[in-house]
Amino acid sequence: MTSRWGALRDLLYGMTGYEFARHAMQIRHELESVFMVVTMGDLIGVPVLPPYYSLRLLPYVVPQIETWKRHMVRRKELWEKPEYDLLEM
Amino acid sequence: MNTFVAVLLGALTVYLAYTGYARRVDRKIIQPDPNRATPAKLYMDGVDFIPTNRNILYGYHFKSIAAAGPIVGAIVAATLWGWLPALIWLILGVSFMGWASDYSAIVLSVRNEGNSLSAVAHRLIAPRTRIILFVFIFFYLLLIVGAFVGIMAAVMNGAPQAPFGIIMLTAMGVLLGQMLYRWRAGLVGATLLTVGVTLVAILLGPQVQGIFTSLNGAINALTGGQPVVTYFDPTAAGFKGADTKIMPSFVFWALAILAFCYAGSVLPIWRFAQPVVYVGFWITALSMVLGLVGAALAPWVKPAVAQFTIPAFKGWNPPLGPSGLMPLWPMLFVTIACGAISGWHALFGSVGTARQIENETDMLPVGGGSMLTEFLLGLLALLAVSVGSKGAPVAAFATGLGGFISVFGLDIRYATSLAFVAFIVIVLVVTQLIFRVMRVTLTEWLGEAIPPLRSQQVSSLLSIVLALLLVLTGTWIYLWQLFGGANQLMAALALLLVTVWLVSVGKSWYYAGLPMIFMYVTTMAANLVTAYNLYVNVFTPNIAAGRPLPVIGAGLMVLVALLLVVAAAFIGYDGWRAFARYQRQPARAPRPAPARG
Repeated sequence: MTSRWGALRDLLYGMTGYEFARHAMQIRHELESVFMVVTMGDLIGVPVLPPYYSLRLLPYVVPQIETWKRHMVRRKELWEKPEYDLLEM
Repeated sequence: MNTFVAVLLGALTVYLAYTGYARRVDRKIIQPDPNRATPAKLYMDGVDFIPTNRNILYGYHFKSIAAAGPIVGAIVAATLWGWLPALIWLILGVSFMGWASDYSAIVLSVRNEGNSLSAVAHRLIAPRTRIILFVFIFFYLLLIVGAFVGIMAAVMNGAPQAPFGIIMLTAMGVLLGQMLYRWRAGLVGATLLTVGVTLVAILLGPQVQGIFTSLNGAINALTGGQPVVTYFDPTAAGFKGADTKIMPSFVFWALAILAFCYAGSVLPIWRFAQPVVYVGFWITALSMVLGLVGAALAPWVKPAVAQFTIPAFKGWNPPLGPSGLMPLWPMLFVTIACGAISGWHALFGSVGTARQIENETDMLPVGGGSMLTEFLLGLLALLAVSVGSKGAPVAAFATGLGGFISVFGLDIRYATSLAFVAFIVIVLVVTQLIFRVMRVTLTEWLGEAIPPLRSQQVSSLLSIVLALLLVLTGTWIYLWQLFGGANQLMAALALLLVTVWLVSVGKSWYYAGLPMIFMYVTTMAANLVTAYNLYVNVFTPNIAAGRPLPVIGAGLMVLVALLLVVAAAFIGYDGWRAFARYQRQPARAPRPAPARG
């Protein structure tokens, strides 16, 4: 019985709060991507910050580098923009 | 026929289609492997690729696909051909095609590293397929906003109990965005406040309708009661065709709706579009759930609202306009799109939902299950219009749905007001988002060649002007069918892609291929019939009467219809060649790149 209530709760969350949580994550992700480009741009051929500062920051961003590079190099389709997430038909 | 039998039939359809057919295809052909890593797990980035619980994803996907499409389509089809053909198509369409299209698009993406349909088309069929899809999308969106703005302006103008609820919904949506993203209020409390106030405002609609009646009268007095535009409308006078006048109050409401859409297009998503959609969701969900349960209970609680009042069948080729065609085949199959099968679901399910699938065994409940649930929404709209016999199609729908809601003891006047607003809300929130997407699409598509289009103000305004031009042609039923044709063609193309992929990996392709052939032929024919109807019923009479605006609008629509047919012919030809190629020799599994010496 509990699992059924849990499923119903998840379903309702999927229809309501999930999109807000997802959008908040997208906003945060965009800001972090900008930060990564500014500080670690050398890794993708965009040197913005002097290497001295990049190296000082490197230990803090190591866990994110793989995901960030993958996100940057992936070919993005037009309909991956947040606008399309909301478009109900 | 009464509503309980129809609801029972709907529930039985969902059960049989899911357990009897969909599961069989899933188990025997697709063979989901719970141990295979999905793209959500392989490429997890916490944003686009993120493994998500199947129940949450089902709710998210259902909410993303269920909106105005299944409702408007069922209303128009029941009005044109009667409720029986509409019911049969809804049942057969979703059972053999609809779920297959949605589910297969997700499967295709999951089995192809989370790539979208267009990216897979680029690889499997031909590079130009992707470009043609861009053209499809833009005109598809233009057609749908033209139809929707026209419908909504007519309802706002003719149902003065509705605008107050809509104005309050907008205010509450803006407040909700502020509360959630700036004041960091809890979702439950913010929802209770904003949805509660909106609901009260909607129910107060009949009390304050005098204000809006006076407003409409004052606006019409500006021209001394003279129309702004007069045009020949083949859908007027009981579908016999007659001159119709666009009054200043209609234009006022059309402009008000477009201003709302402009705000939705240019403001940040969190500030306007998303929270307004969210508040609107609760209003429509409440109305639909009450309506569906009310329809099932009505034969016992309130039999007067449970009996079908429109004819079961109105003919194979009912008259619409002085000399147009409206044959049941192919036109019914594009008039009801989303409740039976929809290309839009496939296109965006392959991007948004597929990248969040946690386990391959979740693909069927999420993709197929959501589509089968959406069928129930189309069924409810069909029931509402079948029992509500008063007035134009939308008014009949609102009367019918209001009757179902009144089963719970709410006065019929207030229940009908809620139904009217629910209809406008569901269409309005979609329309504002479509303008936003049109703006983005226009910028991506033509921004390089025409730099001013990179400005969101310019691209939004251009989209709005084009939509207004279509609205002033006044023939929203043809617009709707043209939109349905584009949508169903996209479904056929999605199924074509799935068929090619199934052949390329050596699997049985019939469950996707046979619906694809039916939808492809049907929608090509439907687009040609619509182009003919527009030419003989709108273009020719208006050109004879010397009315340039409807002539330009109708001419534009005819061109769009022909463009869609040509674009689909190209994709179909490329698809056939790819199909034949893979039938001769299935694709080899990709191998790792050789090491460099």
